[in-house]
Parts: sequence; structure tokens; C-alpha cells
Amino acid sequence: MDIVKEVLEKQQRDLEKYKPITVDKHLEVRLDVGSLLCTDPNDLEDNQLKNNREQYLLDLTRDNTQLLINSVWELPTERIDECIVAKLPEPTTVLPRLRKVPGPKPLTKWEKFAKEKGIKKKKKDKKVYDTTLDKWVPTYGFKRADAEKEKEWVLEVPKNVDPNEDMFQKKIDLRNEKVAKNEIQRMKNIVRAKKVEVPRGGYFGPEVASSGQLLTAVTVAKSSTASVGKFQDKLPKEKQARGIGVKELIPGAKRKASHISAQPEKEVNLDLIKSVLNKKPKYDIEKAISIQKNEDKLQRETNPAEKGKKGKKGKGGKSGKGGKKPKGGRGQRAPGKKTAVGRKRR
Amino acid sequence: MGRKAEFSEKPKKGPGRKSRKQKPPTFPKKSFAPSNDMDDKKLSHRQRQRLVKRDQKKEIQKVKKQKLNKQQRKISEGADVIDEAELQNKYITDKPQVLAGIQQHFKFKKQKIVGFTDDNKDWLKPKQLKKLKKLQSSDDQDQEMYEAEKSEEDLLEGLTESEEEENGEDDTCKETLKMEKLDDISDYDDENANSDDDFELSGEEDTDSTNNKSKDDEVDDSLLPIERENKKLKKREAMEAEMATKEMQMSIDRQEVFKFPEEDEDTQKEITLQEIQQRIKDITLVLSDFKRYRQEDRSRQEYLDLLRHDLCIYYSYNDFLMGKLMDMFPLTELMEYLETSEVPRPLTIRTNSLKTRRRDLAAALINRGVNLDPLGKWTKVGLVVYNSQVPLGATPEYLAGHYMIQGASSMLPVMALAPQENERILDMCSAPGGKGSHIAAIMKNTGVLFANDANRERIKAVVANFHRLGVINAIVSCEDGCKFRNLISGFDRILLDAPCTGTGVVAKDPSVKSTKNEVDVQRCYNLQRKLLLTAIDCVDAKSKTGGYIVYSTCSVLPEENEWVIDYALRKRNVKLVPTGLDFGVEGFTKYRQYRFHPSLNLTRRYYPHIHNMDGFYVAKLKKFSNTIPMTKEQQEADEKVLDDAIANATTMVNDNSNSNEELEYKEKRPRKLLGKQAGKPNLSEVELDIKKKKMEQNRNKYIANVFEKPLKVNKNEKEVKPVNQTTIIKKQNNKNELHMVELNGSKSNGTQIEFEAKNIERNNINTKKQKRDLPSLLEGKPIKRQHKLKQKSKPIGLLKNYKSKTHKTKKN
Amino acid sequence: MKRLSDERAKILFEKLSKYIGTNVKQLIDRPDGTYCFREHRDRVYYVSERILKLSECFGPEKLVCVGTCFGKFSKTNKLKFHITALYYLAPYAQYKVWVKPSFEQQYLYGNHIPKSGLGRITENAGQYQGVVVYSMNDLPLGFGVLARSTTECKTADPMTTVCFHQSDIGEYIRSEDTLF
Repeated sequence: MDIVKEVLEKQQRDLEKYKPITVDKHLEVRLDVGSLLCTDPNDLEDNQLKNNREQYLLDLTRDNTQLLINSVWELPTERIDECIVAKLPEPTTVLPRLRKVPGPKPLTKWEKFAKEKGIKKKKKDKKVYDTTLDKWVPTYGFKRADAEKEKEWVLEVPKNVDPNEDMFQKKIDLRNEKVAKNEIQRMKNIVRAKKVEVPRGGYFGPEVASSGQLLTAVTVAKSSTASVGKFQDKLPKEKQARGIGVKELIPGAKRKASHISAQPEKEVNLDLIKSVLNKKPKYDIEKAISIQKNEDKLQRETNPAEKGKKGKKGKGGKSGKGGKKPKGGRGQRAPGKKTAVGRKRR
Repeated sequence: MGRKAEFSEKPKKGPGRKSRKQKPPTFPKKSFAPSNDMDDKKLSHRQRQRLVKRDQKKEIQKVKKQKLNKQQRKISEGADVIDEAELQNKYITDKPQVLAGIQQHFKFKKQKIVGFTDDNKDWLKPKQLKKLKKLQSSDDQDQEMYEAEKSEEDLLEGLTESEEEENGEDDTCKETLKMEKLDDISDYDDENANSDDDFELSGEEDTDSTNNKSKDDEVDDSLLPIERENKKLKKREAMEAEMATKEMQMSIDRQEVFKFPEEDEDTQKEITLQEIQQRIKDITLVLSDFKRYRQEDRSRQEYLDLLRHDLCIYYSYNDFLMGKLMDMFPLTELMEYLETSEVPRPLTIRTNSLKTRRRDLAAALINRGVNLDPLGKWTKVGLVVYNSQVPLGATPEYLAGHYMIQGASSMLPVMALAPQENERILDMCSAPGGKGSHIAAIMKNTGVLFANDANRERIKAVVANFHRLGVINAIVSCEDGCKFRNLISGFDRILLDAPCTGTGVVAKDPSVKSTKNEVDVQRCYNLQRKLLLTAIDCVDAKSKTGGYIVYSTCSVLPEENEWVIDYALRKRNVKLVPTGLDFGVEGFTKYRQYRFHPSLNLTRRYYPHIHNMDGFYVAKLKKFSNTIPMTKEQQEADEKVLDDAIANATTMVNDNSNSNEELEYKEKRPRKLLGKQAGKPNLSEVELDIKKKKMEQNRNKYIANVFEKPLKVNKNEKEVKPVNQTTIIKKQNNKNELHMVELNGSKSNGTQIEFEAKNIERNNINTKKQKRDLPSLLEGKPIKRQHKLKQKSKPIGLLKNYKSKTHKTKKN
Repeated sequence: MKRLSDERAKILFEKLSKYIGTNVKQLIDRPDGTYCFREHRDRVYYVSERILKLSECFGPEKLVCVGTCFGKFSKTNKLKFHITALYYLAPYAQYKVWVKPSFEQQYLYGNHIPKSGLGRITENAGQYQGVVVYSMNDLPLGFGVLARSTTECKTADPMTTVCFHQSDIGEYIRSEDTLF
């Protein structure tokens, strides 16, 4: 009996060490079991808080925790692997965000443009009826490529194209190019959205860059001054970057130089006229020859006419120096000619 | 361009080149009177024949006289039995008397017999005869004296012949004399009225003819039977001819007693143009002396209405325009005006003094076979073309810019403007550039000429003409004339040849006659007022040489002319000055119930029937101060009113803030309407009110259909706004702008984006829904119909793409 | 209205010098004020600077024409003179061609001038020389280019084309819509 008593007393003493599981509160605490949160609306006691602060807060916390645990125990429990487990309900308390709310996504270049121009996106149907294949074909995605292949099993070689060129490969290349371009544009959009400064020519790693790319980078850098590179010195034998899309990169390259000079307009015009008038004509030998020929011909045509005139007017006889006297066949001797003496009279 | 004038009708080809050199032969005037030396010569064959005829005629007349006598006797006795011939005779005799009586009634003031008709001729006749007798008896004495003289003269002539002649001449003399007397009485000058009528008329003649009768019988006896027959035949023929003329006269005369047509008749009967013409003449006659000729139960307004109606039909005007014209002109002048408006004015050209002289041009054109003359003393550059063998719009001279085809009237405003060298001049409505180039020519290509026209198509003609005529100092622009105030001002002179209804150039464009209505006119004069005010604002009053505005229209309506000038005189610091044109009719100072500024007599009107040029109006204003005698707000209000009026062209402008003038218009309108309705059946006031309302409604309906311009008012207000303005108005405008932005939504606002986003979302949801619906809808249907349905729901471009692709493959 | 670029100005002066030779200078160097060439919608206008300044108050859309139109630049930057340039070409022309009165009308319809239509011609004109065409009573009718030099003309047979038609005053009617 003593033993029983002893045990009971011991237990009693043990129990006295622990505090009771029931807690009294002036106001009910609010419990959010889902997030294991207990909110105590009761006022703190000023006396105790001043005199025995640590102990008081410790007790208060214990009590509240006891309440929380109690409510957890009220939940249905089950035993899994020697552990008693309860499933917490959904939390009711809304917690504030850690970070600020993200703003609207910056528009991509196309979206911006479309908005400016009022272009609305047209919804495409997922499937389109294809008359050649006589079936419904997806506009994109799964089985789209198959359908394409099935449809375009043969391709025309246009007239002005090298006949040995593989039209299928060309098509694939074209598509790849498009994809690549799209990718670049996507990147550019991201860059733009993040407001990162990127050089005009783009990033070129030292290993990857080609000489053309480097040349472009140099030209772009040179002309990126306030005076669009007008006063930048040039290296000997320096090349200008060329190629598709390069001109767009170089600032000021598209801008036309103003044709209005500081000189007054009248003087400019007079200079221009001078240069136009003083321009030496092209030396066209053929033309010159034809002109020469023409002139000669004309001279020949005009000369006999002059002779005739003279003869008619009867001046020939008078002229002493130019005209020769008739010699009656004796004057000139032609060796092959039969000489006749005297004038024949018939 | 001037060459757009009509040349489809080629002027008649004149005589050839030779005929110009050679004058037509002239013959010495021969008197056809019998010469004195006739008896000396032997009579020719023809003369002899004529002599015989004369004898025969005489005899016929005698026979007639006899018959007449008989008849007269019968009438006096009241005999009932008349054989056929006599009946005829009676018919003949009765008519002229009645007619003569009627004419007397019309023209002779002493006799006041009203309402002659065929019914009462019987009782009228004796009275007439008496009167005639009296008159003629007095005449007889004169005649006898005359005869005596005549016979003395005749004695000198041949024996036998002269006797016969004398006889004949006596008769003719009598005839003519009596004719004269009758003329005196009845003012009845019918040339071919044979002497017979007169004989029959005169009772006095009877006594003479009794003597003659015995003679005639004797003559008859001496004749052969064939000859007698011949005589009879001739008599009958003569009689028939007479009857014909009688009938003609009858038909005309009957109408002369103008009877107002019954309304039922009017509607039922189809009337020919000739009848209408006759009726117009009649009504004008009646209206010329209304007291005398009117029918008692008809008012003047009824006559006027009928006349207007007839004129509208005859000249194919619409009622409105004809009414206006009738208000403007007295009746006789109106007829002249209408008549001359039908025929085109002579073709005139203006020498381009920049390139040639008039004498040189005339010589060159004459060489090309053009018949022309200087236009008049008032112009040194005008030429009038009578006919031409070549198209005047395509001669090398024309193409080289030596002349411009231009109406005579279009030279007037430029002459009134009197441009000086080195001035800045504006031609506000310049197309097709005739007047503008004239100005440049007078300026001798110095200074600056602004040529403006709002019409982009017509401005091309201006540029072409200026280049062709060698005008190099011009700035050609295509602005709205009313906006010039804000663009540029400080002109020395401005010519405003305002757009108008074109009622003066009806000959050129006959469609004006029937198409223009009151609304058109209103719209025109509101625009004209606005333009004129703008023009006045643009002129610099301090200009050393100028400060003049010339306003001209090719319309004759006072609404578009005097009224507009009067308005400008009231609204701006301008005064009228003499136009410098020494001819032309003075402008109206009063027109119907309107009274204009007395100085409006300095303006000039030109009419086709007086000046043989298109109907035209020229006024010259001088600006004497640059200040505007009203506040900006008032001006704004005015502008707005004018704008509204132009846009809506509804009833008269009604704005309380306006000067009382506007109110005047308002008051006048109903009065005018009442005036028009005066002749129509009397309606009670209530009925009238209802009718008016209906009319108003109808008009509004019509107007709404044609002239409504939605939401334009705001814009106008903004544009008209001058630069310096009070703050209040600015604020208002700003508000307006904001409002507009919200309405339009063209610019991106915060609210706008949200709104759009919402819209897009909604759309998306909708499309989703549709998409969800579509497949299920389509599932059960045959493929073809599905396809069709898809087609409807799909953008077309896609389908096309597919189609083209399929085509390609098919080709392959 | 804008100033001509140097390139276009050069084209213009070259073209002008074809017709009026050294007289081009006189168009620019005038005693009666400064005149200049301006370009407006590809058309070249010749106008006094004084007038030009006044024309600046109009917007480019509203301004139709200032001074005299000389011609139009094509899309390929070639200048084609309009007939309106004749006003300045005719008085300064160095080489002239006169057409017979019988051929006048035909020329105005846009035909080339054959030898038979030729009335007179300036001496020493080379082939492809720009000339101004006159009627026999010295009315400028248009301008063109010689197909044969003066000397060749004399020997040519009547039907051969002597002068190519470029522009004539008949165009004021024929192509009013396209000219302005």
C-alpha cells in the first residue's frame, strides 16, 4: 500500500513539476492551426512585466503554445511509423509578401509597334482545313511538319535559280534563319526589358568574333561621337565596315549630309554653272572622224561648183597666176599619152 | 481654263477671203412709183397685163359693194331668210366690226365698253356703225377735197388710160384714206387687210356704191360669159383669202381679251408652248394697265402667280428663281432679260499685254480667218469675235499665250481693282485664272500676285493659264479662302470673285435655271459674307497705294450682292468707293422690303439685255481702318453663325448675341412667305400654322439629308480662332480639345489603356467561347458545310494563301 | 519648296546649257534681284527670292506653284523639261529652228520635224543640240533636239526627221492634267 501511495505521491510530485494543460485566458486567443499561429489579444500585465519580465513572457508563451498544441490535438490523428501525425488544415491568415509586386511586362518591340499602329492580334484556329491534303491540319506543333512534308513532297525550281540548288535545303535554311532571327529579337527584347546597356555592334567574345564583326565594332565605335565620327582620325588603309545590316548599326550613316552650305546660294549656283560650262567634251575619235569626213565631203561638193562659176563668168582667161594658158597639147608631157600636135579642127 | 467654254457649236462660216476685199454690190435705189414719163413710152407686155388685172379688180370690188348694200339693208330690216352666200358675207362683215370694236375698247380711252364677247355683238353693232358713220362723214369732206386735187393732177396724164387709172386711183385713194381713219380710231394696222373690209364697214360707202352699181351692171353685160365666170371665181378666191385672214385675226384677237383660266381647265388641258407665250404676252399687257384690263374677280397676285408659272414653263426656270427675278425687274425688262439670257453672249477674248499688243494679235487672228473687232471703248485689251474658221481655243497664238478667252464681264472687276505695279495683290477665288492673269498683266509681272482657289482640280487650270500667259510673279495656292486671315495679310488690293449661284451666266450654264433653290442661295451668301470679311481683314488699310477690295459675282440676285456688301459695311471699317467703271446699272439701295446703305449706288450691276454681257456685279470697297469694330468674341460668334449657316443652310441665322440685323432677317421671313401666299385660298390661322409647320419640317428633313455634317462645329471653331485671344475662350477651347481627345482616343491616356485592355480581355473571352463552341457545332455536319462555316469565321487572307498554295501544287 | 541638292542642281544646269549654252549664267546672275531654283514635289521652279519668301506662309500641301515651273525630276533623277520652261528658254536660245506654216499645226500635235517642214535653221548646230522651235513669224512653239546637224540637214532628203520633238505649246491642252 505504501508502495502504491509512494508511487502515487511520486507521480503527484512529477505532475506538480509540470504545469496544467488547461489554460485560462481572459480573452480567447485566435488560432490559425494551418500555419501553427497563435495570436493573443490579451493585454500584458504591467506589474509582472516590470518586475519579472523574462519569467512572465516565458509563462505567457508556454500558455499560448499549450493552447495551440491543444488545438492540434483536437485534429484527427493517425499513426504512421510509430509517429502520431495530424494533418493541418488550410491556413487562414494571409501573410504579407516578401518582395514588391512585379509591374506589367515591358512590351516587346513588335507589341509596342502593334499597339501604336492599332494592330490587333488575330486568333488563328488550331487546325486548318487543307484542300490539297483534304484533311484538317494543325496550324503549328505536333504533326504540323509531317503535314508540310506530305504536302510539299515536290518543289518547283524557279526559272531564274540555279537548277542544281537543293530547294528543300533552301527551305530549311530559310526556316532556320527565321528561327535564328526570332531568337535574336527575343534576346534583344529581354535586353531592352532589363534595361541593360549593350554595345551597338553586340557582344563579341575574343574567341568567337570574326574580323568582319570586329571591323563593324570599330566603325561603330568610331562614329559614336557627338559629331558622328566626322573628326575622328583614320588609320592608314583602314577599311569601312560593309555588309547587310551594318549601315543601320553605324550612327549617322543613313543621315544625308545637308546640301545647304554656308556659301550664299547664288555663288554656289554660279560655281556649279562654271563647272558645267567648263567641262571639256568627251574626246570621241569616231565622232571626230565622221565630222572630218563630212566636212571634206562638203568641201569636195562645194569646190567643183566654184569652178563652174568661174568658167561661166569667163574670169578664167584673165587670171594671170592661177589659171594656166592653154598650151594646145604641148604644155605637159605625159609619157604614156599620145601626143597630138596642133589642134584638131573638125 | 478659258477654253472650256463651249465651242461645240461652230460659229457660221463667214464669206470667203475674197468677199472681205470685195464689197457687196450696191444698187441705186429705184423708186417703184409710176414715173411721169410713162405715157410717153409704149406700155410693155407686163404693164398691159397689170392694167387688165387692175380693171378686173375694180369690177370685183364694185360687185361686192352691191352685195354689201343689199345685206346691210337686210340686217336693218331684220330679215331672217338669207341664202348661203349671204350668210358667208354676214359672217365676214360681222367679225371685223366686232373686232374693231374690241380694239377700240382696248386702245381707245373714250369708249369704255367692258367684256366684249361674241355673244353680244349683235346689239353692239348698230352703235358702232353710227359712230363710224359720224367719223367717216367728217372724213368725207377731206376726201373729196383730196380727190379734186388728185383729179386735177390726173388731167395731165393720158386720156383713156388716165381715166381708168383715175377711177382706180380714186378707189385706192379712198381705201387708203379710210384705212387711215380707221387706224386713227382703232389703231388697227393690218397691212394685208384688204380694202374690202373697210368698205363693208362704212355705211357711207353704200350710197356711193349704189351709183356704181348701175355702172357695174353695165360692165357685166358687156362681158363674155367666160369672163363673167372668171370674175366670179376670182371673187370667190378673194373672199376665201379674206376669210382666212379674218380667221387668223380672230384667233389672235380672241386671245387678246385675256381670260383668266379656270383652275380645273388649267390642270386638265395640255397647253402648248405657243399658247403659253401668248398668255405671257397677254398677262403682261393686263398688268401694264391693271385697272383697265383686269377681270374684276381676279387680284393682281393671281395674275402674277400665273405669269410666274408660265414664265417658269416657257423659260424652264424653277419657281424660286423666277420669283426672285420678278422681284428684281419690272415686267417689260424682265421679258427682255429672260429673252437675252437664252442666247449666249458674244465670244470675247482678252489680249495678254505681257506678250503682245492688241493690234498685233488682231492682225494675226485675222490672218487665221477670225472675224473680230475691239470690244468697246472701256477696255484696251478686249476683242469680240464674231466668227472664226479655226477653233479659238487651239490657235498657235492662244497656245503661245497671246490671248485668253474670257467673258467681257470678267474684265470689269479687274478694271475696278485697278492694280498698280509693285503691289501685293490677292485673287481669292481665282480659278480658272482669267482675272488673275489680267491682274498680272496690268502689274506687268511686278509685285506679287497671290492666286488662291479652294478647289484642287480647278487650281490646275490656274497654273496652266498662268504659265501659258507668262505670269511669273504669282504664288498659286490651294487654301480655304476663309483661313487667309491667319496665314498672311497686309495686301494692297484683294479681288474677291466670290463663288455664287451663277444666275448671271444662265446662257453658259442653263442648269442653273432649274437647280438653284433658296438653300443654295443662302449657302452662297453666307460663304460670300465670310469670304468678304476675311478679305477685308487681309487688306492693309495703311497701304500707300491701295487698301481696296473688289467684290464681284456672276449672279444678279441682290442676296448675293448688295446684301453681302451691306453686311460687310456694317461689320468692318470699310466704305464703298466708285468702281471706276463708267457704265453699268447702279446697285440697289432698296430692294423689296430691304433698305441697304445709300452708298450702294456706287456699285455696278451688269445685265445681258442692257450691256450684252453676262449678268455681273462689281463693288469696290476701301478699308479706312485696320481695327475691327467689334470684340473678338463677337467676331467668333459671327464666324460661327456663318459657318453653321453654311453647313446647315437651314433657316436664317439665329443668334441672340448678333446684331439686330440677324433678327431682322428672322422677322422678315415669315412676312415674305405670307406675301407669296396672298393669292392662295384663304386659310384660317390654325391651318396656316399647321401648314407652316409642315413646310418647316419638310425643309428640315430635306436639309438634314443633304447638308448634315456631324461634329464639324468644334473643329471649325478651333481653326477660326485668331492668335491673340482672351483667356476665357482659350480655356473653353482647351476644354473642347480635351473632350475631343477623349472622344477620339487616338492618343494613349492612362484611362484609355485600361479601357482597351478590358476590351481586349472581353474579346478574348468571347473568342474563346466561340472557339469552344465551334468544334461542337461543326462535328455533326458534312465536310463541305463545315468548310463553308469556317470560311465565314476565318480571316480571308489565310484562305487565300492556302488556295494559292494549292494552285502551285496543282501546276506541279 | 526646298533648295535643289547639288546633284540635282548640276543636272538642271547641264540640261539648261544644252539649250541656252552660256546664257545659263544670266538666269542666276540677274540685275533685277536674286532669282533661284526651288524644288517642290520633284518639280523645279524658278522664282524671285522676294516672291519665294512670301510663299513660305503656305504649307507644302497647300502650295501649288510659285513662279515658273521648269520641269520635273523623274524617279531615276533625270530632269524632263516641261513646255512651261519655254518662257525662259526662248529668249536665251542659241540654236533655233523655224518651221514652215504648213507644218506648224502638225508640230503642235507632237510630231517630229521632217526636212520638208523645216523653214530655217541656225548655222553650225551640231547633232543632238537642243534647239528652240519657232514658227516663221517668230512665235516660239516648243523645243527639241536636232536629229541632224545643220550641214547634214542640207543634204538630207525631205522625209527624214531633222529635229526630234520634245515639247510643244500644244501640251498646254494635251497634257494639262499631267503637267501640273
